[in-house]
Amino acid sequence: MRGLLDRPAPTASAALTLRRGAARVLLDNWTGTSTVPSRTLYPHQWSWDSAFIAIGLRHLSARRAQRELESLLAGQWADGRLPHIVFNPALPPDAYFPSPDFWQSSRAGRTAGAPSTPETSGIVQPPVHALAAWLVHRADPAESRRRGFLARAYPRLVAWHDYLLTRRDLGGGGLAAVVHPWEPGMDNSPCWDGPLQRVDPAAPDAYHRADLNHGNPADRPTDLDYGRYVRLAADYRDAEYDDHAARHRFAVEDPCFNALLIVSESALANMAGELGRSGAPHTARAAELTRRLVSRLWDDTSGLFRVRDLATDALVDERSVTGLVPLAVPHLSRDVVKRLHETLDGPHFRAPATHLIPSYDVTGHAFDPHRYWRGPAWFNTAWLIHRGLRTHGLTAQAERLRQGFLAEAGRSDFAEYVDPVTGGGRGARRFSWTAALTLDLLCI
Amino acid sequence: MECAVQPADLRPIPRGTLRTAVQEQLLPGDTLQAKWDIAQESGYDAIELRARGDFHFTARLDELRQAREDGVVMPTVCVDMPHFFGAFDEDQRRDAIAQLKAQLTVIAELGGLGVQTPAAFGMFSRRLPPFEPPRTEQEDREILLTGLTELGEHARAEGVTLFLEPLNRYEDHMVNRLDQAADLIRATGMDCIRIGIDSYHMNIEESDPVAAILAHADLIGHAQVSDSNRLQPGAGHLDWPAWLSALHTIGYDGHLVAECRLTGDPIEAVRSIPAFLQRSGA
Repeated sequence: MRGLLDRPAPTASAALTLRRGAARVLLDNWTGTSTVPSRTLYPHQWSWDSAFIAIGLRHLSARRAQRELESLLAGQWADGRLPHIVFNPALPPDAYFPSPDFWQSSRAGRTAGAPSTPETSGIVQPPVHALAAWLVHRADPAESRRRGFLARAYPRLVAWHDYLLTRRDLGGGGLAAVVHPWEPGMDNSPCWDGPLQRVDPAAPDAYHRADLNHGNPADRPTDLDYGRYVRLAADYRDAEYDDHAARHRFAVEDPCFNALLIVSESALANMAGELGRSGAPHTARAAELTRRLVSRLWDDTSGLFRVRDLATDALVDERSVTGLVPLAVPHLSRDVVKRLHETLDGPHFRAPATHLIPSYDVTGHAFDPHRYWRGPAWFNTAWLIHRGLRTHGLTAQAERLRQGFLAEAGRSDFAEYVDPVTGGGRGARRFSWTAALTLDLLCI
Repeated sequence: MECAVQPADLRPIPRGTLRTAVQEQLLPGDTLQAKWDIAQESGYDAIELRARGDFHFTARLDELRQAREDGVVMPTVCVDMPHFFGAFDEDQRRDAIAQLKAQLTVIAELGGLGVQTPAAFGMFSRRLPPFEPPRTEQEDREILLTGLTELGEHARAEGVTLFLEPLNRYEDHMVNRLDQAADLIRATGMDCIRIGIDSYHMNIEESDPVAAILAHADLIGHAQVSDSNRLQPGAGHLDWPAWLSALHTIGYDGHLVAECRLTGDPIEAVRSIPAFLQRSGA
């Protein structure tokens, strides 16, 4: 493991230009078939990380970008789910917690269709993959066609979306639900605090947190939160990852998760067209999902989308960046776009020291500028909101965000996230999706 | 409904451009001046010379001086000899070193950068019968270090660089990978010896050519390009964008020298290389 994680980098990225530095991060973090999010903190392949990484990697090597997504898709389960981690079998079990020994995918997930190899986790992450696959294809269509990339990726991505819209429609309202705080990707967002109250934490001596070996405890989720994460994951595993049989003590509909499903469904329509099939079913599904997103999660009073807690069937009274990401959805009403734009510029999400968007309301009761998704500003959500601003013709604000993104990515040595009060980089450095999305924004 | 893919998604990234060069034998024309005209028309920034044995390169000095006065850019030379400084035969080894010294002197006289040579070419392969070479690995190493040190001292005196090129396992048994060349160069402690990489050999020998470039960034001084099948870049299946990205990220500022065989119309093949490399991220 030391060889993989601590390989020396002869040239400091800070000394190179931004583009060279970003490229260097992606080349250093490449493992042969995919990219680790961070050499120090995240040694396996993560699902939505790989999608964002592929979006940047396509500018370095279309072939590597395709392989990034293909290696993730190779971990797909027969029920269609794309696991949030595909484990590198060359690493020891204690390289990360929860480890393959915890998830036991090949055994506990057998009925749900987990592959016998590789080992994976059993939960999912936001479905940004079809968007990534389409952008990767567009970067070099000739290479994509030569390798049959879309023809192989498309049916798997369709199965992934089908899984989310059938087995994960736990609320019956036509949106995908997430059953663990790690699934929406914003692990310790205050949005989950209320729903998590129903979860008894696992005993602290029942597991060892590997994330604290390299991460600063002040930047990471608390032990109490972590105990609840472990409990939820263990319960899901013990129900053999059966979405209908499991008793979900945590089940919410997340705006970012469903917005990315919509954007990706639109990408599937484009892929279908490229493959000589009809894209109409995907287009219709994206339109229907957009209607459901607005009807179930839009909060007109506060001007952003909210999380819906399926246990109470009520919207969670917290303002999070997840409620702004739906700006990336193409066919929103003009009024919703206008309100989202106002919220983005308003007091809850304007931070003193960053152009990025804080992950949580800077005036909110739970705001913490250091702690992961409870305040810090992240580069992937900024990229999605930048995309949304451009999609809706808000080009001046998009450009300001882009310039800020590039400056802060370079200044922080491609940090995992940024303290919105001081502007200082936090978490891992040389973080892959920050570098990848930097490369992508340098294209514009 | 169209996915919101903006045209900007497809625009190339602005970047510094790597310069290209082509070896002289690939260009049509009776003189270097005529070859240079075609090279420039094709988008090349320089010509790489080839140096035969028997002090042939020294004998070309007047021709080369005139070419330089006529504006031909010739920063480097690659050996084109029947034996090399790692030869088993002592006389051949001494001759190769004498030839290389003369070539270093001539390229210095021309204001160039240096000479590229492998340890040996076509002398022995551990992959072909009789499989076991007449020297031990330790003897090989001593021979190579002795030769490199003598050549490095000469290069230093002339103010130029010797580029040591790893070849694939079927062409040489001593220096196949960048790490082997780097180990020898570090053992000499001489900064006038650098690695001359070749994409074709790297594709065969390196488990990850990109990682090898990054790992030996500080020692890479020269780069020759041909595709997976030894044909011109674009005629095989190398991942050129990844390979070129690695050179960009290490700040490589030398040329990409086409040293390859050609398929299709030879002039069109030569003309295609600079544009192909540019499209691939050079």
